[in-house]
Amino acid sequence: MRQLIYPMKEQYEEFIIDESKFSGYAQSISFPKNEEEIREVIKELGEKHIPITIQGGKTGITGAGVPEGGHIMNLSHMNQMKDGCLLEGGNGLIVVEPGINLMDLRKEINATFRKNLLFWPPDPTETSATVGGVAASNAQGISRLLYGDSRDYIEALRIIDSKGQAHFIERGKKFTLPSGKSIEMLDAVLGKEGITGVISELTLKLIPKPESIWGIAFFFEQAEDAGKFVDTLKRDLPKSKNAAVAAAEYIDRESISLIESHKGTMTKIKELPNIDENRAGMVYIEIHGEEEGIEELAESLMESAIICNSDPDEAWAVSGETDVEKLRAFRHGAAETSNLYIEKVRRDDKRITKLGTDMIVSNLTFSRVLADIQEELDDAGLKGCVFGHALENHLHVNILPECYGDYEKGIGLIRKWAAEVNEQHGEIVGEHGIGKLKQRILGDLISGQYIELCRELKSEFDKENIWNRGNIFPEKAGQV
Amino acid sequence: MEPGKHFPRESGSSMKIAVCMKQVPAVSEGNMDPKTGVLLRAGMEAIVNVYDLAALEAALRMKESIDASIHVFTMGPSKAESVLREAFAMGADEGWLICDKAFAGADVLATSYTLMQAIRAVGDFDLILCGKQTTDGDTAQVSGGLARWMDIPHANWVTEVINISHKEINVRYNMENSTVTASMSLPCLVSVEKDFFIPRMPSLKLKISGKKKTVHVLTIEDLEDQDKKHYGLSGSATKVRKIFPPPRTKHQEPVTFDGDKAAEYILSQLSDVNLF
Repeated sequence: MRQLIYPMKEQYEEFIIDESKFSGYAQSISFPKNEEEIREVIKELGEKHIPITIQGGKTGITGAGVPEGGHIMNLSHMNQMKDGCLLEGGNGLIVVEPGINLMDLRKEINATFRKNLLFWPPDPTETSATVGGVAASNAQGISRLLYGDSRDYIEALRIIDSKGQAHFIERGKKFTLPSGKSIEMLDAVLGKEGITGVISELTLKLIPKPESIWGIAFFFEQAEDAGKFVDTLKRDLPKSKNAAVAAAEYIDRESISLIESHKGTMTKIKELPNIDENRAGMVYIEIHGEEEGIEELAESLMESAIICNSDPDEAWAVSGETDVEKLRAFRHGAAETSNLYIEKVRRDDKRITKLGTDMIVSNLTFSRVLADIQEELDDAGLKGCVFGHALENHLHVNILPECYGDYEKGIGLIRKWAAEVNEQHGEIVGEHGIGKLKQRILGDLISGQYIELCRELKSEFDKENIWNRGNIFPEKAGQV
Repeated sequence: MEPGKHFPRESGSSMKIAVCMKQVPAVSEGNMDPKTGVLLRAGMEAIVNVYDLAALEAALRMKESIDASIHVFTMGPSKAESVLREAFAMGADEGWLICDKAFAGADVLATSYTLMQAIRAVGDFDLILCGKQTTDGDTAQVSGGLARWMDIPHANWVTEVINISHKEINVRYNMENSTVTASMSLPCLVSVEKDFFIPRMPSLKLKISGKKKTVHVLTIEDLEDQDKKHYGLSGSATKVRKIFPPPRTKHQEPVTFDGDKAAEYILSQLSDVNLF
C-alpha cells in the first residue's frame, strides 16, 4: 500500500503554525492529491480514531488550520482547475480543487476565458490563500462593498465526510436540522471552518471583468480628516450609471511605517515611492466600470477629498490591473507586516500571537470609531496599526505588543471592544473566522446562537467528531 | 502637418525633451501557450514598458531643475494612446502617437528610423530620453539606433544625471568594471537604467486633467520620408519567428553537510556560477 500518511518530523514544522502565529502540534501529516487519497487517509486514520485538521495555504489568522494533536490533512497538492464553461448571459463557471490559491486561480481563469474576460469577485488581499480556505473561513476581501459576499460566488461544492463518502452540494439545496431549523446546505460548509468535513471540489461563479479599474490613494495630514472624508462618502457615496466604488480602505500611519520598513523585500511594492512622513493616514479607493463613469466618480471623490484637506496633486491614481495590483499589494502589506511584527516579538516570547480585530459596527460614524480606537490604544499605552474596510466600519486593529504584558493588555482591550460592539448590535467576527485563537480570546462574547448552530451542524455532519476539532467552540484535542 | 514646424526650438527658450515610451503586453507565465511557448495576446493587458517610465521620471526630475517641456512619443496602434495618458498623469506636457499601418511589424532598425522621423517632424529637441530596453523586444538597441539616425551623441544605461544645462549634460553610467562620467553637448540621447529612476506615482489631478488633453497623432503623411518601404515589416532587417520562454533547468542534487561545511559548499556552488 502506498504511503500517504507521514509521521511529523522537523521538515513539517511549518505546518503547525499559520499567519496568526498560533502554533500547535500533530502526530502525522498527509498531502492528498485527489479524493481517492483523501478517502484512503480517512480510512486509515478512522480505524485508529485520529482527529484531522484540514489545512490550505496556512494564511489563516485565527489558527483554524493549526492542529492541536492528531493528523494534518494539507490540501495544497489539490490545486488543479478541473473544468470551466461560459454561461448564457456572460457569466461563467469554473470547477477547481480546494488547494488552488487565488493567484493561480486568476491565471487559470484568464487562460480559460481569453475572449470573454471573467473574474471571481472574492478578493482577499492575501493571494496565496486557497479557494478552499476562503470558502471555509468566509474570507471576503476589499471589493465586498460592490460585489457582495464570497458565498454568493460559490455555486456548488463536494464535501467528504468522516466515513469517506463524498456529497455534492449545490446552491438552493436546503435541509432541516433536528432542532427544526432549516438552512441552505451550502451554509453547513461555507464559513464553518472545516468542522463539518473536507471540501474536495468547488464550483465558482465568475462574472465579466469591469471594462476598467482605477485605484486612488488619498493622503491626509490628520487622521480626523481621513475620518471626515470617509463619513462624507458614507453619507453620500458618489454614483454613476457606468461605474461604482468597489472598495474604500483605510490605512493608518503606523501601518504605512511598518509597510515601508519592509518594502525592500516586498517585490510588488518596492518601487512605490515613500509616503510623506507627515501623513497620518490614507484612504485607498477602487472604482470599477467604464472609463467615462470612473472619471466622473474620480472627480467627485477628488472634490470631497479637497474639502477634507487632502491634496489632489499628491493623491496617487493608477489604472489597469497591473498597476492597481501594486496598490492592492500595498494595502495587503498592512496585514502582512503586522504579522511579521508578531513573528519578530515571538522570537523572545512564544506565548505571543496575532491580536487583530475583525469587528463591524455600523451605527457609528467612521471618524468616531477611528478616534475611539486611537484614544483607547493610547490610554492603554499600546501600539497598534489600524487598517480595513472603511465604508463598512470594518477595521482590523492589530495590536503590536512589545512584551507579554502588552499582549495581555491587548487581549483585555480587544475583549472590551467586543463587549461594546455586542452592545451596539455589531459583529465581532467579520471575515476571518473564529478558529482556535478567537475562540479562546472572545469565546464567551461570540453569539451563543451561532455557536449552537455550529455545534448542531457538527453533530449532524461529523458524527465521529474527527474534523477540525477546537475550531469555533472548544473541544478536547488529540485522540477521540 | 508640415514636418519640423510644430514645436520649433527658439534660442533662449525652455529646453525641449523628447521621451520615447512603448506599450507592451503585461506578460506573465499564464500568457504563454504551455506547448508552443507562443505569446497569447487575446485578453492580455497592455501596460507601459517599465523601463520607459524610468526615462520619463528622469525627464521630470530634470524639469524640476531646469525650464523644460516634455514631449512623449509612442509608436503603436490607437490603444497605445493610453501610454500618453499615463505620461500626462505623471507630468508630461505633450503626447505624440505615431500610428499608421505602415509602421506595423517594425524591428529595431525600422522602429528607430520611425522614431527619428517622428521626432524630427515635431521639431528640434535638445535631449532624447529612452528606457534601457523593453520587456517584449528586450533588445536594448533602439536607443542606440535612434541616436545613430539622428546623428547625435548618446550615453546608454545611465544611472545618474549629474547636472544639465541648456548646452550640455553630465551623466554617469556603469561599465562592467568601471563607472564612467561623461559630458555630452546637446542635442544628445540618453537611455537610463530603471532602478535609478524609480517613477513617481501618477497624480489624481493630472490623471483627470490628462484625460482631457489633446493627443497628437503622427501618420506616415506627417513624416519627411513617406516611402513605406522604410517602415514597418518592409523596412525591417530582421524577422521574429517565434517567442518562447527559455527552458528551465530542474537539476537537483541532494547533498548532506553540517554547519560550516554546508556553508562552504553553498559558497563554492555560487562561486562556480559567478554569483558570489
